[in-house]
Amino acid sequence: MFTLPKLFSAIQRYGLAVLSVAVALGVSLATQRYDFHAEFTPFLLAVAVAAWYAGSGPGVMALILSSALFDYFFTEPLYTLYVRASDVPRFFVFVAFLSLITWFSAVRRRVERELRQARDELEREVAERTQQASLLNLTHDTIFVRDMSDIITYWNRGAQELYGWTPEEAIGEHTHQLLKTNFPLPIDEIRAELLRTGRWEGELEKTKADGTRVVVASRWSLRRDQHARPAAILETNNDVTERNRREQEIRGLNEELEKRSGELQVINKELEAFAYSVSHDLRAPIRHISGFTELLQKNAASVLNERSQRHATMILESAKRMGNLIDDLLAFSRIGRAEAHMTMVSLQQLVQEALSEVAQETEGRNIVWKVGKLPACYGDRSMLRLVLVNLISNAVKFTRTRPQAEIEIGSTNHKQDQIVLFIRDNGVGFDMKYVSKLFGVFQRLHAPEAFEGTGIGLATVQRVVHRHGGRAWAEGGVDKGATFYFSLSKSGEQNR
Amino acid sequence: MSAFGRILLVEDDPKDVELTMTALEDYKLANEVIVAHDGEEALDYLFRRGKFANRSTDNPAVLLLDLKLPKVDGLEVLAQIKADAKLKLIPVVVLTSSHEERDMVTSYKLGVNAYVVKPVDFHEFVNAVKELGVFWALINEPPPGSVKKN
Repeated sequence: MFTLPKLFSAIQRYGLAVLSVAVALGVSLATQRYDFHAEFTPFLLAVAVAAWYAGSGPGVMALILSSALFDYFFTEPLYTLYVRASDVPRFFVFVAFLSLITWFSAVRRRVERELRQARDELEREVAERTQQASLLNLTHDTIFVRDMSDIITYWNRGAQELYGWTPEEAIGEHTHQLLKTNFPLPIDEIRAELLRTGRWEGELEKTKADGTRVVVASRWSLRRDQHARPAAILETNNDVTERNRREQEIRGLNEELEKRSGELQVINKELEAFAYSVSHDLRAPIRHISGFTELLQKNAASVLNERSQRHATMILESAKRMGNLIDDLLAFSRIGRAEAHMTMVSLQQLVQEALSEVAQETEGRNIVWKVGKLPACYGDRSMLRLVLVNLISNAVKFTRTRPQAEIEIGSTNHKQDQIVLFIRDNGVGFDMKYVSKLFGVFQRLHAPEAFEGTGIGLATVQRVVHRHGGRAWAEGGVDKGATFYFSLSKSGEQNR
Repeated sequence: MSAFGRILLVEDDPKDVELTMTALEDYKLANEVIVAHDGEEALDYLFRRGKFANRSTDNPAVLLLDLKLPKVDGLEVLAQIKADAKLKLIPVVVLTSSHEERDMVTSYKLGVNAYVVKPVDFHEFVNAVKELGVFWALINEPPPGSVKKN
């Protein structure tokens, strides 16, 4: 809009006043020359122009200038600033005219400003509304608005995507007829709740444009007009068909899992009962065999020949071995069943304990021990000690044939969260061909005459390490010693 | 049955009974042993019921109790003994085949005086039984109302 106060500075506004008065003077002098006496009018116009366009200050200046010039050029005595009493009314007309023009111009400016403000506000609101509407369109959620007679008045892009109708098709339609809404409870109850609380939510079944049924989580919000009368209902829908199906699936899987875990519990119970029964019933006959054989040896020594005596001894040895096997097997099965008590364990300390536990086996032996610096780890203390005792005792056993045994215990941590412990010896070693058999239950790579043992030790080691989320492996060669490794996690995050 | 003894052996397996008796013979304790072949018989003896209704009121100096028994099992026998004001004074030694930790914990909770796992090795078994017999029947001073040593 063309507004001078905005475009011109104060100097320019006062300049305009001077200029318009100068023009008025020129015009008046010209009209005087052509004997056309209307000297007063151009000055009035000049004051009006100055007041109207440049404001009241320039207007006042134009008035003073005009009065002075008019007095100087056009009133008797000419070319003086002398004012006669008869000229005073003319001056008052001037002032009154100026005040009127200034007042008009002020009113005009105020009206203009108000109009401008109102226009700006409107523009802002329009921009905001447009943005909001396009935001609603952006969302994936299905949003539509309907009036109180259920006629759709707004339909966003999400609604189009879910149901398949464009806004042009949907707006003006009756919601529940278009979507064939299936209500879980009477519509009157829903409406009553909506009117009472302003909102309602629940699951509804609706139909898409292509005829497929869809279950939606529906939220209704009531909008009231300024007189608090219900005006419109905003409804958002989320397709939960897939979610419901998945929930159903998860429920099914959970039930299956519960069934399985129940079955497992039953099996576990059976296993426990089995182990219990083995522990009682299998040991008793062996005890009897060895007991009565011994009584036989003692009481019938005179009638038994040497061969029969030897047979009796073999029976005793076998019974003893069977007893050891059963004991080891039971201990092994207990490790699988026992609850692990996980704590931070100092492996350094645990190795010392294990070493003192095998002290008896090392008596009279020449063994050079090398124990490195060992970290702490997270695990079951007694189970881990069993692992160390088994491995160290193995190392002691299989270096028996060496004049000087060397046994090294250390750790390597290649990975951040893992500790790898190793026990290395310079003993009889083993053939890597059979490495896979090492950790099996009752698997032995040596004749019992050479090295005693039931073959449960490494199986126990592996079971414990597995229960700690780690791994056990070995490297070796015939007569080249053996190294047994096992990994444990530092933090215990992998632990069960 | 009016016989009485210092040791009540509760054991269902005749072979175990024989081996135990053999072990006790060395200390001439075998004659002092009363054998109950199941939990019910043991309780009848202790509570002087049924065929033991007329036995002397003296209680055995020690009870050697197997856990796995017909009819009433050893833990139940133990529980009933330790729940009885008079009988709970009798020292009870559980003598079992089992290494089951669960049994051991339960037994100690019920107030057993000793828990011995029968060794498979006969020598160890004999030694264990002898030591038990000697300790509980000869060395240990039994509670009042028990059969005294002669």
